[in-house]
Parts: sequence; structure tokens; C-alpha cells
Amino acid sequence: MKQDKQIKEFAKQLLKISLENGELSAERVDGVLKSLEKNPPRHHLATLKAYLKLVAREVAKSTAVISHAGAISPETATRIAAQLSSKYGRSIASVTREDPSLIAGLRVVVDCDVYDASIASSLATLETALS
Amino acid sequence: MSSVIEQIEQQIANLQTKTVASNTGKIVTVGDGVAKIDGLSEVMYNEMIEFPGETIGIALNLEEDEVGAVVLGEATHLREGDQVTCTGKLLSVPVGKGMLGRVVDALGRPVDGKGNIESDETYPVEKIAPGIIERKSVDQPLMTGIQAIDSMIPIGRGQRELIIGDRGTGKTTIAIDTIINQANINKVGLASGDPNFRPVYSIYVAVGQKNSNVARTLGVLEEKGALEYTIVVSAPAADSAANQYLAPYTGAAMGEWFMSNGMDALIVYDDLSKHAAAYRQMSLVLKRPSGREAYPGDVFYLHSRLLERSARVNEDNGNGSLTALPIIETLAGDLSAYIPTNVISITDGQIFLETDLFNQGIRPAVSVGLSVSRVGSAAQVKATKQVAGKIKLELAQFRELAAFAQFGSDLDARTKAQLDRGSRIVELFKQPAFNPIPIEQQVGVLWSMQNNYFDDIDVSQMVSASDALRDFLVSRKESLLTAIREKAKIDDDLAEQLKTAVDEWKASFA
Repeated sequence: MKQDKQIKEFAKQLLKISLENGELSAERVDGVLKSLEKNPPRHHLATLKAYLKLVAREVAKSTAVISHAGAISPETATRIAAQLSSKYGRSIASVTREDPSLIAGLRVVVDCDVYDASIASSLATLETALS
Repeated sequence: MSSVIEQIEQQIANLQTKTVASNTGKIVTVGDGVAKIDGLSEVMYNEMIEFPGETIGIALNLEEDEVGAVVLGEATHLREGDQVTCTGKLLSVPVGKGMLGRVVDALGRPVDGKGNIESDETYPVEKIAPGIIERKSVDQPLMTGIQAIDSMIPIGRGQRELIIGDRGTGKTTIAIDTIINQANINKVGLASGDPNFRPVYSIYVAVGQKNSNVARTLGVLEEKGALEYTIVVSAPAADSAANQYLAPYTGAAMGEWFMSNGMDALIVYDDLSKHAAAYRQMSLVLKRPSGREAYPGDVFYLHSRLLERSARVNEDNGNGSLTALPIIETLAGDLSAYIPTNVISITDGQIFLETDLFNQGIRPAVSVGLSVSRVGSAAQVKATKQVAGKIKLELAQFRELAAFAQFGSDLDARTKAQLDRGSRIVELFKQPAFNPIPIEQQVGVLWSMQNNYFDDIDVSQMVSASDALRDFLVSRKESLLTAIREKAKIDDDLAEQLKTAVDEWKASFA
């Protein structure tokens, strides 16, 4: 238990080093990984796993995953990313993914938040209401 | 058919086409009815969360990088990576008079196979108890129908009276008797058409009990015609620890609805020892730090916040009340264990049941010395106070003398008289299960005892004598009983009538 806490604490410190102006820097992450490779800490694998989890969470915070059924123009994706950047007060990049299971519409995921404007979700709501 | 289509059309018309925002997370681990979730950054403490398959849970541990939640109901279909969604709502259960006569689970869903419950109102399961300004002191009686309790340990509406004792000493029986008595009083009161009559609705919460026990209790309530005034919340031993933890709060929400709507309700928590054990199990699986007897640090708060919700509110707040009868099971009569001491300190008194008395055939096995009602005497009916004022003291003196008298053969006349009277009182208070006695009959019997009408009756004949007196009063002197019930005190006129009636009975009994 104590060991887990120490590993998490160390991973958090590594993440702090990986940030530049409050945002994750690929260059700094690369530097951290090289340093860890050179001087592996105790519980090397567990530390890397904890660090990976924190980095993934940080990436998710600054990425809007736009799932769509049908075509979506790059301008729309950029506009969504701009809107979300102003909402969250941090720079958010967009990634688009085609998902035919949505039937039509969009679903945008930023970290824990989901914005759903798809037909599939409307139908699921209808199903719940009728059951 | 057309109504179904209309309903579907309406649902489609109401369908939200705008973007739906939600806060989500993913299950990291799930087991023993507890899920650890990554995400849910906006979840609140005690918030209801939604798992796949319409399963719900409650967020109980908000940690830095994950959320610990208990799953209510079946959790075997949940997998690692499943999406979990915040609902933004606290857990609520259906409430109202439509729940009366029904058996529901910890989430208020019917389990009695009698179809859907007609209730369009819900109430939060966790709620802050009424504050000081809203409250009023206990001043109305709540009759249990048990002579020993109504005369010596009276209970008032809004009081919290603990029923405590070892296993098999009749704790549940006292609670069920009280529920049956409320139903009997309700029937008489509602039939009388008295506009000032306030019925008492009952809620029986079964936590961690065998289904057979719950079925037996239900059978008794149904047989005695008390189920129509009662809601049964059942979280049996086979239910998850989370459901057992939740059931008392669900019952409290249902009772609180009656109180906040200006009505009176009685709630029985059967029992809080098993409730504490269920909470301990949940807390250990959630990896909360454990303390004495492995209970978590907030086990006192678990019961205090539950029992504080029982109250009597003042006229400005509807004048309703919620009386609680929590039950605690002790081990080998040990009152100083952790949970018993906690609940004793929270409640307004306790009825202690002794195994020895039970085995001697003294039932209900109420220990007069260890039982107390801290606020009930203010609510006791004046007639009972007049006839039972000295009984507790006499009985306590009898117990002391009886223990002392075992060592000596020569006793003075006064001691012998005290012992004789004590043994008669003990016999008088014997009462079969599920047969509550109306207060006016209790007054009649106790008045006769106070006025020495039983003194020449053999101790072994006391139970039959008191039964015969009650039968006589019910069959021949109904107007007298009605007068006692309505006046609620014995004035000179009533005393004279009682004297004539008991003299008449005595002549026929001898």
C-alpha cells in the first residue's frame, strides 16, 4: 500500500516535469523517458505504468475526440475544437473518428465529458423512456 | 392499442434533439458489489451513478484519481472498461400513501408480486434531519399495547426508543405488537369519525434477516389486519451489503414523508447491528481505514444521522412526527459492546430484554431496572400515570428483595407483603405475543391492582384473573372503557364506575 503511494507520488512528479506552461510537451516527455531508461528507478515497470496513466489523462484533457457517422469537414472539427478551447480555458486539439454505430450526428469526448448529439443516443433515451 | 401509439408519439415529440452533455468514467475494477471508477470528475458524494444495464450505484469514495462506488443490485454483468455516467441526482425512492400495504426493496421497488406501486412522488434517501427551530418536544403518546411498556417505559410520538437484547428474547415481537396496536387504534379512531384523530402509519425495515422471518412477520401483520397501515422495506441476508446499508435510509425517507406532510409515522429498524455489519463489509471492501471491532470511523454517524431524522415537528411545520424503534442484538447480554453503546447514547431510552426472564416464562422479558424512557413520561396518558405511577418502583424493590430473600427463611410481614405484591405485578405483566392490549383495558387492570383487588387471588391464577377482568370489561362495561379512552384520566366519577364494575367482576370470578 505504502509502495503504491510512493510510486504514484513519483509518477506525479515526473508529470510535473513533463509540463511546459501548464501543457504537456512531447519533447519533455521524451526527455523524462530517456532519463528513466538511463537511470531506472525501483519498481521501474510500475512507475512507468503510473506515469503512462497520468500522461494519457493529460492528453485526454487536451484532446476532443469527435466521433461521427457520415462526413465531417475539417472546418467543423476546427470550430468544435475552438469552442471547446474557449469553454475549458485551455488549448484543445481535435481528432476525428468515423463511427457508423451513431447512425447520424456527432459525439464529442473531452476527458470525462461527453457531448452527444447522435441519433443512436436519442434512440437509447427513447428506449429507456418506453421500457 | 391507440393509447400505446399515442404514448410513443408523445415520447418521440418530447425527445431531446439537442446535444446531451454528461460526465462519464470507466470501470477499473469491480468486485464484492464495489466498483472503482476512473473519471467521473464532476461526481458528488452520495450521487447516484448509472452503470450499463440500467444498474445504479452510489459514489461513496471520492479519491484523487478514482471514485469508489457501491453497486445496488446485481453486479455480475459489469466488466472492466464499461462506461459509467453521473446522473447529477441523489438517490430517491417513491413515497406516499400508495406504498402502504406493500413490501418493497431497498430502492422502493415492489417485491410482493402485487404489481406496480401507485406513487408519483419521490423523496431523497439521505436528507439532513429537521433542525432545532422546526422541532417540538414529545408530548403525545404512542401506545405499544404492551402493559409493561405503556405503564413503566412510555413512548411518545417522535421519540427514539431502542429495543435491545440477546437473540431470541422477543425484540421483533415487541416491535410487531406495536405496529399491530397502531393498526387497531387507527381502525377504532377512523371509524369514530373524530376529526382530531391522528392515525399512525408504520414502516418495518428488515435488514439482513432470513426471508422466512420476513415472511412470518408479513403473515402476522396480514392476519392481524395491520398490513394495510404498514410499509415493509426488506433487505434480506441474501441481498448485497449495499442494499442492506441503504434499506434503513429508504424506510426513513418513507416515514419522513408522512412527518413532513403533517402525519404521524412509526418506523422499526430490525436490526441496526446487522446494518452496522453490512456497512463494515462495504467499508472494508472500499478500503476505508478500520477502527474498533473493524468498523469504520464513521459508524456512529451512520446511526446518528439515521435516528436524528425521527422527530416531532411543530405546528408551523405540519405537526407531524416520526417515532423510531431501532433494534440492537447483543451478545451474551453485553451492553457495553461498540454498537450497543453507540445506539444507546443516540436514542431517548431503551427497552432491555433479558434472556433469564424470557427463559423463566416472563414474556415480554422486559428488564425493569435497565429499561428507561427519557422523554416518554411527558407523553404518558394521565390515566396510566394515575394507576401505574408506583409500579416501576415496586417492581424494582421486588427484584431486589427477591434476590435477598433467597438466603433467609424468616421474613417480616412487610417484606412478605412486598414480595407477594411484586410477584403479582410480574404475573400481571405477562402477555402473549401479537396480542396488544388497548390502553383503556390496561388502565382497568392496573386500577384493580392498585386498589388491591388481586391480593387474595393466587399468584398462579393472576394471568387468568386479569384476562377474565378484561373480558368482563369488554363484554359488559364497554361504555366505561370508552369513557376511560375519551377522558384519558380517572376522575371521581370514573373511579366510582370502575369500583362498581370491578366489584361485580370480583363477585363472579370468586
